[in-house]
Amino acid sequence: MSATILGISAFYHDSAAAIVRDGEIIAAAQEERFSRKKHDPRFPRKAVNYCLSEAFIEADELDAVVFYDHPLLTLDRVLKSILSAAPRTEDQWLKASRSILGTKLFVEDYIKDILKTDVKVYFTEHHASHAASAFYPSPFEEAAILTFDGVGEWATTTLGYGEGERMKLLKEIDYPHSLGLLYSAFTYFTGFKVNSGEYKLMGLAPYGEPVYADIIRDKLIDIKPDGSFRLNKEYFGYLDTDRMTNDRFAELFGGPARTPESGITRREMNLAASVQNVTEEIVLKTAHYLRGLTGKKHIVMAGGVALNCVANGMLQREKIFDGVWIQPAAGDAGGAIGGALLAAYQKFGAKREMNPTGRDTQRGSYLGPAFSSNQVRAFLDRQSYPYTRVEDKQEWADTIGEALADGKVVGYLAGRMEFGPRALGGRSILGDPRRAETQATMNLKIKYRESFRPFAPSVLIEKTAEYFDLDEESPYMLLVAPVKEERRLAMDLDKFRGGDDDLLEVVNKPRSDIPAVTHVDYSARVQTVHPDDNPDYYAVIKAFEKITGYGVVVNTSFNVRGEPIVCTPQDAYRCFMRTGMDLLVLEDCLLWKNDQPEGEKDESWKTEYELD
Amino acid sequence: MDIQLFEHHPIIGYRFIPGLKARLEHEGGGYLVRVNDAGFRSEREFVKEKGDKFRILLFGDSFTAGDGVSNKFRYSDLLESLIPGIEIYNFALPGSGTDQHYLTWREIAKEYEHDLVVIAAQVENIRRVAARHRMSITASGEHVLLAKPYFDLGPDGSLTLKNVPVRKEPLKEEDLPEEDREFVDQGGRMLWLRQLVNKMGGPVKEMAQKLSNYQPLPEYDNAEGREWQLMKAILKHWTAEIEKPVVIMPVPLYHYVEETASADGYRARFAELEDWKGATLFDPLPGYYAVPKQERRGFRFEKDLHPTPAHHRFLAESLAKVLQNFTGTSAEVATAK
Repeated sequence: MSATILGISAFYHDSAAAIVRDGEIIAAAQEERFSRKKHDPRFPRKAVNYCLSEAFIEADELDAVVFYDHPLLTLDRVLKSILSAAPRTEDQWLKASRSILGTKLFVEDYIKDILKTDVKVYFTEHHASHAASAFYPSPFEEAAILTFDGVGEWATTTLGYGEGERMKLLKEIDYPHSLGLLYSAFTYFTGFKVNSGEYKLMGLAPYGEPVYADIIRDKLIDIKPDGSFRLNKEYFGYLDTDRMTNDRFAELFGGPARTPESGITRREMNLAASVQNVTEEIVLKTAHYLRGLTGKKHIVMAGGVALNCVANGMLQREKIFDGVWIQPAAGDAGGAIGGALLAAYQKFGAKREMNPTGRDTQRGSYLGPAFSSNQVRAFLDRQSYPYTRVEDKQEWADTIGEALADGKVVGYLAGRMEFGPRALGGRSILGDPRRAETQATMNLKIKYRESFRPFAPSVLIEKTAEYFDLDEESPYMLLVAPVKEERRLAMDLDKFRGGDDDLLEVVNKPRSDIPAVTHVDYSARVQTVHPDDNPDYYAVIKAFEKITGYGVVVNTSFNVRGEPIVCTPQDAYRCFMRTGMDLLVLEDCLLWKNDQPEGEKDESWKTEYELD
Repeated sequence: MDIQLFEHHPIIGYRFIPGLKARLEHEGGGYLVRVNDAGFRSEREFVKEKGDKFRILLFGDSFTAGDGVSNKFRYSDLLESLIPGIEIYNFALPGSGTDQHYLTWREIAKEYEHDLVVIAAQVENIRRVAARHRMSITASGEHVLLAKPYFDLGPDGSLTLKNVPVRKEPLKEEDLPEEDREFVDQGGRMLWLRQLVNKMGGPVKEMAQKLSNYQPLPEYDNAEGREWQLMKAILKHWTAEIEKPVVIMPVPLYHYVEETASADGYRARFAELEDWKGATLFDPLPGYYAVPKQERRGFRFEKDLHPTPAHHRFLAESLAKVLQNFTGTSAEVATAK
């Protein structure tokens, strides 16, 4: 039976839509990319519109709409949690009830009102959606499934397996015991924003030492040998207040939480290293247990914690499983894909078709909108922005490769937009990884973000082993791997280790012959680029290699701090003009900054986007 | 993401971006737009040489291009299923006037072999042909002015094309040359009031219409008026150039369909064209009156005044009866699905 299914995740954070036809993912996108509001939680009407556009079908041709979690079960959890701590939780109830009673329970009406059709609406469970998003697109016929996040309805962690079209969840850990919420508590305490700053905390960890790890284990979390855990509720605020941690938590770590945007001290670095250490322990222990529980040779993962690429890299290197696959949109957005796939296979009887190449069926996660050269030129011509059109593919790649080799920073929009939080060469800012100053320049003059934040390398798939200790492909930038020993340079960190907290001093020290993508612990968050996934991006890196001998470039998301990654050529041009980028690639049109009309320096991003 | 639909055209002013495929959000639930390589909303590519089918070239504005509905629900596309053996090349362009339709014919369409031409002159076109700039909303929601081509009518009835090549860059109203300020098409009279009423929605709009007895197009009241003389001249020049039969169809605004404004003015003006050689006037308005009033209200969306699928179906069925006289098809017109 042929079926086209729309998946939706919404009303918490990162709402998204996906469309699946007979189990094949046709399109998926986060609402924030269209609404330009970071982590937009509202009903993803623009993302839905895009998905129907990509599938090019009328709304009444949909066989079903699937919502990624179950509002009634969530309501059950919220009610019980709040009642257990009442009356202190009155404020929380008011907030939660507005969200759940105001929107989630009426999601069916929402869908019908927007699409003006009587399509059947189904609800899945939150972690089943995560599990489905991890298993079905993976390259494995069968696999163990592990999901970790903050919270769904009740579950925060699930363990299970998938075989062909079937999927079964065997065990779960329930709220309030949550690895995701533990990590978010530290994100909050170190002054970053919950549900968006977790990856900053991860990036900060290598600068610190895990000196608090034992305190965390002693006081905050009880970790069992099978990886299961229980949090000590006495230290967390999220149960009865709108703060993640409480005064007892602060006492444990020597004082109150860091004020957002204030200086980062050694304490925050050490806290980051410590919670990272504990997270890795739980992931590895759980994986060991799951291998025994399911007997499967491969593992697939999703849920926000699965975006912790340091832990993922460790899991991959430990070889507990023969293969690891992680849903690139591992957070709630990916629930849209998961919900739709779950319905396709378990309700509509789709037959799972494996990729004959042995790779996954996520299609490089290039599942968002593309813009034709006609569309790009229509925009540029209407504004009379100067550009050069380079139709010859080789000449096009060579021009971009030359610019990069020359130290230029390139804004790059080509092909379909990525689904998930990482830019993978569809909407990226590219740079030369050989230059020591690239990291600081790109952070401070282009991204306008914290100087310590590392950049990721995109490496030609066949050259991976020349640069990194990584023996699997990492197309979604979800594995951290060590830079090859022979490429490393000794760093004099005495001053830093002696107590100087100046991160910039460390950032600017050369660490390898590709310093811009080598983290302070000699690791890198690797994206391997396969020509089947993105031939144009592959050609650009190849062209850079032809000139420099290096088959690797710096790749960071095309946005400024607090801004969602660009989606359209218009978004890209605006971002290009606000920053220190030198060259903008919009499909086959190349725009040099020096040729663009002189305007006032556009600083409006600072008020337009809330800092993340 | 609000998608950009049009590209600049140096003579016509703009056209759809060739090859575009999009779905547009809309109060009707959203609609699909596919544009062919020639830059017109169509499910097929246009081919210059004609095959066995009776080919009709159709010109018009957003009512004919199908704003608010998917390609397959437009009256042009429905007609193909109503009359066997015809194909319709729909050259309609939203927001355009009859002057731009004429230019579309001259610049692009006349190269395509055909058997019949249908000019769908939405009655507001009288205002657009007199305009030199038109208010437009960009993909990012900004109100800007875009230049358009226009014709100057000489005392001898000649037409002189002006404003070409059409300026690419949008303008702000304050940047317009003084002499052009009175030639801006704001989309109708009493702009701010219309915007306010449209925002407030259906019932308020209807009440305002009733109370004000708003007459949207007084330009038709005077047979010698500048706007009508220009419109008529354009139609005259155009029909004279077409070697095949022509059907001219004035497409009414909802005020006329719902009988809240008098249609006498525009009907009288278009009636002047009845005797033109080679041209057939088809005024569909009387046909609307055969439809119950309540049903006619469903011919436009609640806020958007563009034709709903039901309205397109009505237009297709009305026009089919006329087109059969040209196609030689004696088959009874089927009911549009």
